[in-house]
Amino acid sequence: MKKYIPLLALALVMAACSDEVAEQPRAAIELDKNIAEINESLVMRFTGSADNVVVFPGDEGQDYERLSEGNSGLVVNKGLFTYAYSTPGTYKLVCVATNHANEGLSLLSDTCSVWVRVIDDVTEITRLSAPQVLYDEVFASLHGDKDWVLALPKRMRFSNSDRNVALNQRLKFYIPSQSTQVFIDGEPYQSNTRYNLANMLEVKTVSNEGSERVYKLHTLNYGEFSTFSLAGVRGTLQRTEFDYSYSELDITLPAGTDVTALAPEFTLSGDNVRVYVDGIEQQTGVSTQDFTTPVTYRFVTTSTADPSISVESTCKVTVN
Amino acid sequence: MKISNIFNLGKHGVRAGILAVALGSVALTGCNDFLDQEVQGNNIDKDFYDTRYKLQASLNAAYDILQSDAIQDTDWRFGEALGDHVIGTDEGLSSHMGQLVHFRFNTSNNFIRNRWEIYYKAIHRVNQVIANIDRAKVSTNDYSAYREIREILGQAKFLRAYFYFNLAKTFGGVPIRPEVETVDKLVIPRSSREDTYAYIEKDLREAAIMLPNRYTSNNSGKASSGAATALLMKVLMYQAVPGTLSDKWQEMVKLGGYFVKGNALSLKEMLHYPENYGDMEWETLRKSLWFKPRELNAETDPYESPESLCPVLLNAYSLRYVDAYGNPLTYDQQFYLDGEFCQGSIFEIVFKESGDGTAGDVNEGGYIFDTLFSLDSPIYSISDIITRIYGTDVRRNFTIGHHEYTPDMENTEIGSGRILSLKWYTPIKDRPVYGGDNGKNRRILRYADVVLMYAEALNECGNGAEALEQLNSNKRVVNEINNGTTLYIGGGYGYLRDQIWKEREIEFAFEWDRFFDIVRQGRAKSVLQSFSQTRSNQRGVYFREGINEIFPIPQMEIDVSNGVVTQNPGY
Repeated sequence: MKKYIPLLALALVMAACSDEVAEQPRAAIELDKNIAEINESLVMRFTGSADNVVVFPGDEGQDYERLSEGNSGLVVNKGLFTYAYSTPGTYKLVCVATNHANEGLSLLSDTCSVWVRVIDDVTEITRLSAPQVLYDEVFASLHGDKDWVLALPKRMRFSNSDRNVALNQRLKFYIPSQSTQVFIDGEPYQSNTRYNLANMLEVKTVSNEGSERVYKLHTLNYGEFSTFSLAGVRGTLQRTEFDYSYSELDITLPAGTDVTALAPEFTLSGDNVRVYVDGIEQQTGVSTQDFTTPVTYRFVTTSTADPSISVESTCKVTVN
Repeated sequence: MKISNIFNLGKHGVRAGILAVALGSVALTGCNDFLDQEVQGNNIDKDFYDTRYKLQASLNAAYDILQSDAIQDTDWRFGEALGDHVIGTDEGLSSHMGQLVHFRFNTSNNFIRNRWEIYYKAIHRVNQVIANIDRAKVSTNDYSAYREIREILGQAKFLRAYFYFNLAKTFGGVPIRPEVETVDKLVIPRSSREDTYAYIEKDLREAAIMLPNRYTSNNSGKASSGAATALLMKVLMYQAVPGTLSDKWQEMVKLGGYFVKGNALSLKEMLHYPENYGDMEWETLRKSLWFKPRELNAETDPYESPESLCPVLLNAYSLRYVDAYGNPLTYDQQFYLDGEFCQGSIFEIVFKESGDGTAGDVNEGGYIFDTLFSLDSPIYSISDIITRIYGTDVRRNFTIGHHEYTPDMENTEIGSGRILSLKWYTPIKDRPVYGGDNGKNRRILRYADVVLMYAEALNECGNGAEALEQLNSNKRVVNEINNGTTLYIGGGYGYLRDQIWKEREIEFAFEWDRFFDIVRQGRAKSVLQSFSQTRSNQRGVYFREGINEIFPIPQMEIDVSNGVVTQNPGY
């Protein structure tokens, strides 16, 4: 009988082990703020007691209420958790505190939650482009706070040929927040719609919070010579693939022609285009130039709607 | 004697014990002199750095970190696994790696901490060289004696810049450790991103004027002036913003003109002297960089003035696939043993070369090969991704899939449908007999990178025609592989930029730089978004723009600093 006593004692000890139960955990958290901007850090400290702590921030894919649909939480390490929401809204942040014992057979948990409001007040457009001008993405530049100026060439050189550039173009807006809405002339912006850029457009941004900002989009064609002739000889315009604001014009005149004072006859690409050499405005058939070295003409295209908006381009004329 | 008897001293024993203690203390007092003795035949910290050889040993310790498994491990995890070129075998949200690649980690992620720790460990080692360089004594008045010390300092500066750059592109501004660490000042606050980059730039600019254009033969593998200039261009590119003209882009154009086209560049232009040096005299600066002091110069010794020119880099490196001696290589051989220190390679992590694979001569590059060329490789590519990267480009032919043959006809066993994401394949004939000895040098900076960075900067500065020329100079060499004729074609800013980025994607695929490249291009969100739509687990969809471009400072650093080290926004 005596020899069975140790075995009996061991069995008793083991029986005691299997009865081990987890301690009741307590979920409690402190948040440094309940209202945050998008992408702003929120700091959460776990103030309860538990072995394992998981937080469900409540945004997409991490919603405790949708646990059965595969949503998951984030593990809290050393009682500290930091997070930033990327979309505005009101979220239920749930903290799950768990203790377990007996290899998980005894599992106890406690939850607590707080509401977090995430606001988004972004109305600023950081960049604006026409993303598909034939093959290129052409960016507009911002003049002052409100005026975007998009400069497009009449024609574009690509793969050894000149192609017409339409004024009906798609638009693309770079805005730091995905929740900000854009309206063009009062209509919701669509990424695949071609907008008629011949007229000035009003671009309004509305943030998720409701604040608004109004921009104007001016589109101007770079000025250029539609025709250009010297002493009755027509020149041909050559464009470059790389710089839409620059072109070259070569003219071959009969040998012996005096080129020191010739007045070219030209037409310009638009009524709102003026042309200058060394700051002096040029008139067709009137203004003379010395063509012994190449002459650079500078075009200024001014918006008819707003005379303070203009774009510049140049053409280098070479006489052989 | 029983042990218990030792303590059972008895009356007489107590007396004897007191006597023994008294004698012992006399003897110990006597020992003081012995303890004060200088150690004979061993180096102590006070005199360790006094010769070139000892400094070289100390510099070797910094290169040694570069070879460590920990550096390779963190580099593929961040540079490659986070990007859109590979799939991981560990993408579950329950592991730290899975959380990392899904951008759903917390601030205590192990891999983020590992990256921080290994690069600071490396910085600590290299700071030993830099802090102690002035203890060096030269035994002759030869110019070369000074040059040898200068080259050690220059390499140390390059390495320090490389280590800080890897931290800055991962974490933003980081703490700049003092060169001499003291116990009462262990907590250092973070420097701003601008200050961190300025610190990196200064090291690289100085290294670029202190080092020769390229090391060859026995010295191959040391960081050269070419390496410092190439890394400086990259550091400038990471600060520049595509679409926004800045002095960073403009200086890249200048450096590219110097590197690729052979334009002259003076020392003061490289250093930004005197702007970056306050009131420092040129001669003081020269001495601090271990140029031979002017008063000691012999007539035949060169003297470097602010107007002197930087080392000539033109023709020191080449886009062509030729080894150091000019013998032709195939495209893929550039990355194998044959292509080590080839003319297209500017800086490599040199893993120890083993002649016969005898014990104790272990090649430390084995980690890369053993980890990534195996059935249980943690990352691999698939044919959909390969098609997206390469399209019809001939460089696609050099990728190796499961049950396909390697160039030396080895059957590849990496799992059905998988394609190797490894450029450092080692042919069988080059693998020594013994295990753990089969990794080859990892290429860090290549000349193609310099040319494409130059092209990108030219385009940003409005010189599209020259940008296209540089872009096509790389493509022309590629065309020679299969007598191809496809070239990139001219276009406006956006079109050229996209073509340059495409060429970068193809040329540097699987070189562990993809993630950082899309981040600095400002399009990580959109690239990862479209990648996530091709994956059932939607990896990448949680990337948050404006936050996940940089990673959180490891929580432990914040905790031990009592909040002096601040966290990045959004974490």
